[in-house]
Amino acid sequence: MIKKEMIAMLLAGGQGSRLGVLTSKVAKPAVAFGGKYRIIDFPLSNCINSGIDTVGVLTQYQPLRLNTHIGIGIPWDLDKNVGGVTVLPPYEKAGKTEWYTGTANAIYQNLSYMESFNPDYVLILSGDHIYKMDYEVMLDYHKSHNADVSIAVMPVPQEEASRFGIVVTDEKGRITEFQEKPDHPKSNLASMGIYIFTWKSLKEALLTLSDQEGCDFGKHVIPYCFDQGQTLVAYEYNGYWKDVGTLGSYWEANMELIDIIPEFNLYEEFWKIYTKNDTIPPQYISGEAKIYRSLVGDGTEVCGEVYNSIIGSGVTIGRGAVIRDSIIMQGVVIGEGAYLERAIVAENSVIGARSVLGAGDDIPNKVKPKVYSFGLAVVGENTEIPADVRIGKNTAVTGKTVPEDYPDGNLGSGETLDKAGVVA
Amino acid sequence: MRAVGMILAGGNSYRMKELSKKTAIAALPIAGSFRSIDFALSSMSNSRIQKVAVLTQYNSRSLNVHLNSSTWWDFGRKQGGLFVFPPMVTVDNSFWYRGTADAIHQNLDFLKSCHEPYVVIAAGDGVYKLDFNKVLEYHIAKKADVTVVCKDIQGTEDITRFGVLKLNDDCRIEQFDEKPMAANSNTISCGIYVVRRRQLIELIEKSVAEERFDFVRDVLIRYKDVKRIYGYKMDSYWSNIASVESYFQTNMDFLKPEIRDYFFRQYPDIHSKVDDLPPVKYNPGSEVKNSLVSSGSIINGYVENSLIFKSVFVGERCYIKNSIIMNDVYLGDNVHLENCIVESGDTIRPNAYYVGENGIKIIDETDERYTL
Repeated sequence: MIKKEMIAMLLAGGQGSRLGVLTSKVAKPAVAFGGKYRIIDFPLSNCINSGIDTVGVLTQYQPLRLNTHIGIGIPWDLDKNVGGVTVLPPYEKAGKTEWYTGTANAIYQNLSYMESFNPDYVLILSGDHIYKMDYEVMLDYHKSHNADVSIAVMPVPQEEASRFGIVVTDEKGRITEFQEKPDHPKSNLASMGIYIFTWKSLKEALLTLSDQEGCDFGKHVIPYCFDQGQTLVAYEYNGYWKDVGTLGSYWEANMELIDIIPEFNLYEEFWKIYTKNDTIPPQYISGEAKIYRSLVGDGTEVCGEVYNSIIGSGVTIGRGAVIRDSIIMQGVVIGEGAYLERAIVAENSVIGARSVLGAGDDIPNKVKPKVYSFGLAVVGENTEIPADVRIGKNTAVTGKTVPEDYPDGNLGSGETLDKAGVVA
Repeated sequence: MRAVGMILAGGNSYRMKELSKKTAIAALPIAGSFRSIDFALSSMSNSRIQKVAVLTQYNSRSLNVHLNSSTWWDFGRKQGGLFVFPPMVTVDNSFWYRGTADAIHQNLDFLKSCHEPYVVIAAGDGVYKLDFNKVLEYHIAKKADVTVVCKDIQGTEDITRFGVLKLNDDCRIEQFDEKPMAANSNTISCGIYVVRRRQLIELIEKSVAEERFDFVRDVLIRYKDVKRIYGYKMDSYWSNIASVESYFQTNMDFLKPEIRDYFFRQYPDIHSKVDDLPPVKYNPGSEVKNSLVSSGSIINGYVENSLIFKSVFVGERCYIKNSIIMNDVYLGDNVHLENCIVESGDTIRPNAYYVGENGIKIIDETDERYTL
């Protein structure tokens, strides 16, 4: 008989549209992070480090990169005979067929997957947070409180509390009230979107709410359990946790890795983060290169100057190029003499010689001012930027661009150049 | 592929000095992120050899740890696989491997149970890429009994530590001297052989029955006029690391752009066990010139013309020049190293000063390490 005490369901189907062109071809959990990782490596590594060896990954939006990355789970030791990692896309059914319309709906559509493991508890995770957390400790907490639902929460500054979903607890940790982005928060404990359900409660709630449009954990399942008088407890987490939902927070979280002793330390022996390594060779730093406060990935060749930046694997940085406060992903080629400041360059793009990114004034983006802000110049994957052009701040560039796309060799701040047709 | 692979990785050499004290030669870290056996294994895997046996003896644990899964080199698990064979006490045998031929003899059962018609035998201490399919084609075209991969060596390398060959116009081996006092040719054996499986079994059984245990002396050299033993000339990069000088030089070769391009960027790739290490971190105060740095390292000091292997910590104000720092080394602050090889796992005290005056200095320190 197959039996797993706790299995994890990892929600990885969302687009993450606030990451702009970075998620034009990949789901947010597959976006590169920290030089050699992808965002989903963090929850997956947390699972195996916590002793959870059965993980269902729910995919929907642009799953190719995610599928190849996860494979059969070898990098995380999740290639198991029983359990392991299973990618769960939406599928056609005899009766009503639908896409995953909400977080809880996605889980509901995979009831039979969960049932096949006879779990006592189900852990619900999302694939877009950077943190290290022992889910086993949370499970112990869940058990010792005889809870039906445990919600991981973290204290946030009181003045920022109105940006989060806030939970109010009594002195025993039992949740007494929920406040969604309240004007006057009664507590500073923000929900992290990590839940442990006792299997019976989860199944019952999902079946009852099966007809709910866009069934969502935060909006429907948790309130339903609360109204049913079940025991909901808050599990307080005090470590590093970062939502990388916007370009600004994504950039910031990357930059925090290069502090001398970063709060989120990748170099600890304990609680390793695992990832699929495509590149093994060492990196080469040439005689002319200068590197200051940076992370650099495997197989990269640096002939230019790199300051306060995160450089991925297999990158080539030409002679005389200068990179400041930027994130350069896997396989990018930076031409000689190029200058990049506060740029994010996605995978396998080519920056022409002597081109400048991130120049000029801080003018808001004209198409999507909320997405392309923070003064960043963002370059989508497989993009080509010709030699000798200037690209301003709060810009987005995708596709194979040619000199004619840049009037007077310029793309001013706030402009969008979308040759790949992905900035809808 | 119609061949099974066999890697002879059991030996030690006095030429390695302290380098092989804790590690088998085939398990020595090389080029920053690899182990020397990775090159033979990857060439086999890239030639689509599915089944490989590695014969180990000296310091075999270091190699066993590295070869913990066939996955890293993409060998199969059911159709083939990676097998590690140390010597084994049985009813008929209570010896260690007494030589390369004996090593193969002690594993004849494995060879007999294979169905592949050919065997590719390689050493574990070569750095190269080779398509064994081409060698096998050549072997068949020449109707050879044994084909020996060989290479013309130019320059200063001491070739008397190799097997030295002389080929006739048809490339058949005329002369074969193992580690001669003086070499009369500049063609050396790379220690890579192709032979028909049944032929190999027959040759090995005969030799061992006569208490002859060395594959080169007692099989190749002894049979060279009776059997058709041919040389296959290799013209791409090949280097052997089985002496301190050549180990150092081979590593330094990877600072040349053409060598890096050949091994790291051109098809096919060299595979190795994945260590799950974070990217390299350059802190303020770091200055790196013309060097290779591997993942998991943290650099705070000055590094020039050197190779920094995996998970190395270089302290503040360190000065590292022309040196090789092997895996998992901790260098305290103000350490000065020139022309040195620092052994894996070492902890070098702050303010240590080492310079290799005439040649390479091997540093093997075992200070206690205090980490947070």
